[in-house]
Amino acid sequence: MKRNWNIDRRHFLRGAAGALVPLPFLNLMENAVAKNLAGEAEPPLRFMTLFKPNGVHPPSWNINGGTEFDFRMSPLMAPFAKHRDDLLILDNMGDFGFSSHANSARRFLAGRCDNTKTASVDQFIADRIGGDTPTRSLELTTEGLFTNQIGCSYISYDEKGDPIPRESDPQLIFDRLFRNPMSDPAQRARMSSLLDRVSDDARALRRKTGREDDETLDEYFTVLRETEQRLETMGQAASAVRTEFSKLERPAPAANLNEQVETMLDLVALAMWTDQTRCISYMLGNSNSRMIFDFLGVKEQHHYLSHFFRNFSRHNIDGLLKISLWHMEKFDYLLNRLKSYKDHHGTLLDHSIVLFGSGMGHSDNHTAQRIPIVLAGKGGGRLKTGRYLRYSQNQDLSRLHLALMRNFGIDVAEYGGATEPLPGLDGGAFDEYRERPFESWTKVEGGKMTVQGRLRMSDNLDEAKVFYLDVAGQQPVRIEIEFKDFHDFNFPYHVGTPIRLTGTVAEKDGRQVLTKISDLKSVFGNSKPNTRNG
Amino acid sequence: MVRNLTRLSLVAGLMFASNSAGSDFETKVRPFLEKHCLACHGAEKTKGDVDFSLFLSMADAELHPDLWETVSLVLEDGEMPPEDERQPGEGEKAAVLGWIEGEFFGEIESMPGELRPRRLSGPEYRNTLRSLFGFDLKVNIAEAEQTVAEKSLVLKLLPTDPPGASGFVNDTHGARLSTTIWDQYSYLADRALERYFAERKVSDAAEAETLVREFVPRALRRDLPDDRMAEIVRGLEGRSGDDLAEALKEEFKALLMSPAFLYRGFLMETNPERERQEVDDFELAERLSYFLWEDMPDEELFALARQARLHEREILVAQVDRMLASPKSRSLAESFGYQWLLLDQIHHERNDPPYLHALRTQPLDFLHYLFTEDRPVIELIDSEVTFLNALIADFYGSDRKQLEKFVKPKGIERMAMPLQKIVLEDSASERGAGILTMPGVLGMNEGPILRGTWMLRQVLGEHLGEPPPDVPPIQASPKGMDLSFRERFEAHRADKSCALCHDKIDPLGFALEGYDKNGGVIGAGQSIGKKKKKEVGAPGDIDTSGQLPSGESFADFEELHQLLLTTQREKIVRNAVERMLAYALCRKLERNDRPTVDALTAQILESNGTWRDLICGIAESVPFTECRNPDRK
Repeated sequence: MKRNWNIDRRHFLRGAAGALVPLPFLNLMENAVAKNLAGEAEPPLRFMTLFKPNGVHPPSWNINGGTEFDFRMSPLMAPFAKHRDDLLILDNMGDFGFSSHANSARRFLAGRCDNTKTASVDQFIADRIGGDTPTRSLELTTEGLFTNQIGCSYISYDEKGDPIPRESDPQLIFDRLFRNPMSDPAQRARMSSLLDRVSDDARALRRKTGREDDETLDEYFTVLRETEQRLETMGQAASAVRTEFSKLERPAPAANLNEQVETMLDLVALAMWTDQTRCISYMLGNSNSRMIFDFLGVKEQHHYLSHFFRNFSRHNIDGLLKISLWHMEKFDYLLNRLKSYKDHHGTLLDHSIVLFGSGMGHSDNHTAQRIPIVLAGKGGGRLKTGRYLRYSQNQDLSRLHLALMRNFGIDVAEYGGATEPLPGLDGGAFDEYRERPFESWTKVEGGKMTVQGRLRMSDNLDEAKVFYLDVAGQQPVRIEIEFKDFHDFNFPYHVGTPIRLTGTVAEKDGRQVLTKISDLKSVFGNSKPNTRNG
Repeated sequence: MVRNLTRLSLVAGLMFASNSAGSDFETKVRPFLEKHCLACHGAEKTKGDVDFSLFLSMADAELHPDLWETVSLVLEDGEMPPEDERQPGEGEKAAVLGWIEGEFFGEIESMPGELRPRRLSGPEYRNTLRSLFGFDLKVNIAEAEQTVAEKSLVLKLLPTDPPGASGFVNDTHGARLSTTIWDQYSYLADRALERYFAERKVSDAAEAETLVREFVPRALRRDLPDDRMAEIVRGLEGRSGDDLAEALKEEFKALLMSPAFLYRGFLMETNPERERQEVDDFELAERLSYFLWEDMPDEELFALARQARLHEREILVAQVDRMLASPKSRSLAESFGYQWLLLDQIHHERNDPPYLHALRTQPLDFLHYLFTEDRPVIELIDSEVTFLNALIADFYGSDRKQLEKFVKPKGIERMAMPLQKIVLEDSASERGAGILTMPGVLGMNEGPILRGTWMLRQVLGEHLGEPPPDVPPIQASPKGMDLSFRERFEAHRADKSCALCHDKIDPLGFALEGYDKNGGVIGAGQSIGKKKKKEVGAPGDIDTSGQLPSGESFADFEELHQLLLTTQREKIVRNAVERMLAYALCRKLERNDRPTVDALTAQILESNGTWRDLICGIAESVPFTECRNPDRK
């Protein structure tokens, strides 16, 4: 994929890995370190979530076959595959049936879509860990409110289950975190001299106009006096504890969505590392996002493309995959940022738990099964990463949330209908999905080849129309077919499952390639599904 | 019209009486109030929030011209005192009416208001920053169809201005400056200056001076005396590089935080020796541009102000025309029209932004057309023209065929679409009453009572009190009787104190009963549920007849529409004049504005005047072009 959107990278914070950081930050980190039960110093545990809109395109996302330690990451996972050792990839997450977009947003952090009267898991965690930091938590997003189904616009909910307002502007977030005018001595001094200056002007105005009793000017002078008093009070309160942030450069305004999101992710990492906050939720878009990724060369809306059967075309699939890859790259970007901040205990990611994913699986069918969920970070040793956990049964997201709460020391008996936390995150036992065994082989007869094996998409999504059949003990069989065959035999539907395929063979670049299909049989399932089943 | 004639004859008849020294208030009005009014509207009981015990002298009376207008109306119509109370003699009554129409209103001299400084409203502040700096301060938020987001950083951060006593948010006299607003001003000024100086290099004193001479007068919306300017420039001497840029930034920040920038009306030189005077041309330029553009004056207005020629009649009128032709005049529809007609209340059960956009943009496009294309004032409620897009075209029958085909780009599911001007043909009888018969406006108020109240207040300009807090609910039909809402409601308001207002409200509201809650025509195959159909029966069964309090009766909305255009025309035009004048002056109208309102109303009525005529009339009027100097002790 071309990365043509990476124009004009700004470096305001990106160079700020360990060595470049001003000294006070390191002191700050020392202060934040608490002693654990064994009396050893332990950095604070952080929690952040990154929400992917519009579910996922399962043929390119799902991991095919695979077990806990022996698995092949899917084509869509390629952008963050290098972090494999820091990941826990969860599969078979979800409840059942159909999910609306609004439901999917609620489910992501509240476990089930009907869990509407309590806080979302990030808020439980913020209550637990946010008290020591200047900002309890941040709830972030990228786009405006979808008022027609307002639930599509929120993943974080307060203790009554009401949505929490989100902020999209990185500059406002930067200023909120690092430019509080009242807590910075230099800014206080500037405001103080401004007050002197404007009150002189206003007094001159009063003399000139002769309005000795002008109420409007009285009101103005009152505000000047009150501000002067606030400066004094804040100066006394702030002088002892504040850290100097004035060396941090304010991010420039973002020119496009990519810059907006990357800048925000920079701030997420910096806010965590400087311990301004320990809990952040960030939506890469509304759960039914209508955003247009023109900087990727895609002109159609994301939601339109996500219905990849309803609005089926080769062109649309390509567009959808470009957008999906971009989401994965932003997850990768966040992990890189979190790893770039080091202290003497390891990296920021080591002391964090990052939850990435969606609230819906299949984006065209709106299924609430096989919802993409990835955990990243070792959570200070609480999570055993580098594994793929595919549960034998569908697992409610609320079980995951319950497990996360336990990791943060929150003792609740039940959450979103779950009473038992999701097992296996810490390396403990879990009930793993068992594949039905099948044989794989190839057979050539009179110019026709029949292959039995597991079908998968090419790892390279630039050639998303190329498929492979994995056959034990030999090179995978490459399949390059016309759109007609792709469509008639419903290839995307069979991706990830074992099939028996018969077709014409041609030789390309010294390797046998299937080019024309005459028959497709599913080994265990339905060979000719309704096209809507995906 | 009828009332106006009465008023004139009364004024003429009593003219000589009020020429005598002193006020009749103490001798004629005060005793009348004590005898007939104080029992219910006195210190102990203050029905309808009216307390006459507070009015001891003419000076007290002058503070509340609205009240005396109402007193005049209720006395003339016999609404007050109530029927079951002792009635005043005709002579007593005539004396009070004579005082109101004669001494109080009749001989009022046209006088301008005081030059009272006023803080810029949120939209004015946003636009002024934009014009001053040449860029908008925007919120970083991804654009997407069907989503709603505040994109202006100014409007996102500043608290929403409450409407002032005039009903408009540009009347900020009551919206106090607070430390919260101060902090946001400071933040916004920093953001704007940061960007302004990032885009400019100021390397030496000469460049700095050029910048100061360019920026400062525009920020203050007037030229500064040479010595003040020289003082600022001197302060920058001897500085260079970053130090110079910092000094300039501080200078400009102080300017942007000073009362002279944040408020209007501080800097004009007044002549305290004179009771009243013409405002200078810089002040006039500001008045004109905040009225028509909600923004600071542009270069052309500044140039004319510098030459002191803006007040010349032909120049002023030419500037009005130029300004109306500018896209900035859209603010007249989007602020003045929107706030006047309460269009923020347009809603729909399907909270779908493209559909709401169409419902809300229709009246705005229409008002913009009336204001800027020289359309008669009365077309507000009587026009062959409207604005549509495909989303609301179903309300307009075969007139939708006039719409040019709008092709959505591929891959866009739903989107806000521009509206197009069409001429009403097929739907003329249902939709020809301008703003009154637009679906969004009809759907804005649910039921006949709220619809009637809206029309009475916003269109006919009647001052209605608030309903009493303890209104009993409308009763269900008694067993065996199938009464319509209207019949049940009529039983309910048999109470006389209810009837006082409802006699005026209800006929207007029930006349619109042929439109359903979404503004569709009932029976035209539009949105009407089964249940409601049963209740109201076929369209022919809906009773839309009524009678105005002044006696004229009508069979249906079309006949009411005719009455609005004839017997009620003066009220409607007068209301339009009052609203627009109050918006232009950014304040509630006072007693001394009455002659201006009367003259403009008469002028519009006489010649079927247009909105442009009205705007020009306001721009040349005494309260707009002059100011009164406060008494100096």
